[in-house]
Amino acid sequence: MELRCVRTGVILGSLVALAVVGCATGQTTTITGSGDPVADRQRLMKNNGANWAEIQAKVKAGNAEAVAVNAEALSLHAQRIPSLFPAGSLTEKSKAKPDIWQKWPEFQAAAKNLENRAGTLRDQAVAKDAAAVTATVATFGREACGTCHTPFRVPPPQQQPAPPRS
Amino acid sequence: MGSQARCLVLALLLLSPALLSKSAAAQTPSAAEIARGKYIFGATGGCGCHTVPKEPVNAGGRKYDGPFGTVYSSNITPDRETGIGSWTDEQIITAIRLGRRSNGERLVPVHPYTVFNGMGAEDLKPLVAFLRTLPAVKRANQPKKITVPMFESVFLPAWLAAFAPRETPPTAVPTSGPARGEYLVRAVGHCGECHTPRTMTMATDNSRFLAGNPKGPEDSEVPNITPDKATGLAWSEEEIADYLGTGNKPDGDVAGGLMGEMIEGTLAGYKDLTKADRLAIARYLKTIPAVKNKIGK
Repeated sequence: MELRCVRTGVILGSLVALAVVGCATGQTTTITGSGDPVADRQRLMKNNGANWAEIQAKVKAGNAEAVAVNAEALSLHAQRIPSLFPAGSLTEKSKAKPDIWQKWPEFQAAAKNLENRAGTLRDQAVAKDAAAVTATVATFGREACGTCHTPFRVPPPQQQPAPPRS
Repeated sequence: MGSQARCLVLALLLLSPALLSKSAAAQTPSAAEIARGKYIFGATGGCGCHTVPKEPVNAGGRKYDGPFGTVYSSNITPDRETGIGSWTDEQIITAIRLGRRSNGERLVPVHPYTVFNGMGAEDLKPLVAFLRTLPAVKRANQPKKITVPMFESVFLPAWLAAFAPRETPPTAVPTSGPARGEYLVRAVGHCGECHTPRTMTMATDNSRFLAGNPKGPEDSEVPNITPDKATGLAWSEEEIADYLGTGNKPDGDVAGGLMGEMIEGTLAGYKDLTKADRLAIARYLKTIPAVKNKIGK
């Protein structure tokens, strides 16, 4: 009996200790990505592009309410955008313009704008307000993505065809 | 005063309000004319070269570097001192189309007058009427810095005469069909200014119309938008029309850079074109010769 109590006590104590250590390290750990911010942000933007293409396809197919999951992804990704543009990360592979770092508050505001608008779109979809979703989607490309892409990105020279949809 | 004279005075008094209002109507453009002007303003991309982003519309001052030096766009607000408020309609139209200021001075063809020469008078007059309705902004034009000797007296007139392709004004502005698309692409939208490669002399090479420019404005690589399958624009007509209206590309990307500016415009842009006009542009782009010209890696 005593032995069992001791054993339980040891196990519980170990768990508590692990939890404390876990929390302590958790507080100081931040997601830093792969260590290559250009690759990380290009991956994130490609993902955003895929989500945006899917949103448009869903709206065209009359399935406006289903865009919530894509809009949520866009909103969450937008929160990460500023952290993916650390100073000195303008490499040859990057399509970013130096203006990002010269007008940093404007760049941050553009990312926040995407976060907010994507959040609005998500809420409209969750509320099953198809008319509101359609209206938001009509201007989203220009007013959510474009406010950042127009001043802060060198556009790609090649026009890509639409990816095949299954 | 005889009875005949009395009758004449009476007739003049009765007629004068009608005469006055008729002449006033000729001077004051109608709301429909101003709306048409705004539409054309949008079809040029909002005359965005004349606006520094996030600064007063049409107040000029945007910088352009060229092989001949540096120029700044002009203030085209109705301010009488620093803008075009004291110019007549005819003088403004001459500047837009023929590249001459009201004092006879020649404009540097960064303002694409050789292309705008293809605009119809029925569109230019409303455009000027619209420009006059905008707020006047007092901002003096910045002087240009030309580095090529005798540029304006010798080089520019010779270049214009020998190399620069010049569009021809239509007898009437086309209202539908491929001709409408051609008019919007070649003249009003001045697409070739960025999308057409340039020859050694920096004139647009219209034998490769819209085949892309690896060294476009502001150091951008401008895509080939001829229907070439491998290197051109592979989008459907519907996708092109959607892109011009929304900035959305079929692959989920969106317009950016100067094209983003043209679509968004200032007070109006490509996005404000009607669906019919955007489709006319798309259809026309499918009819131009496909040119193989890969831009970018």
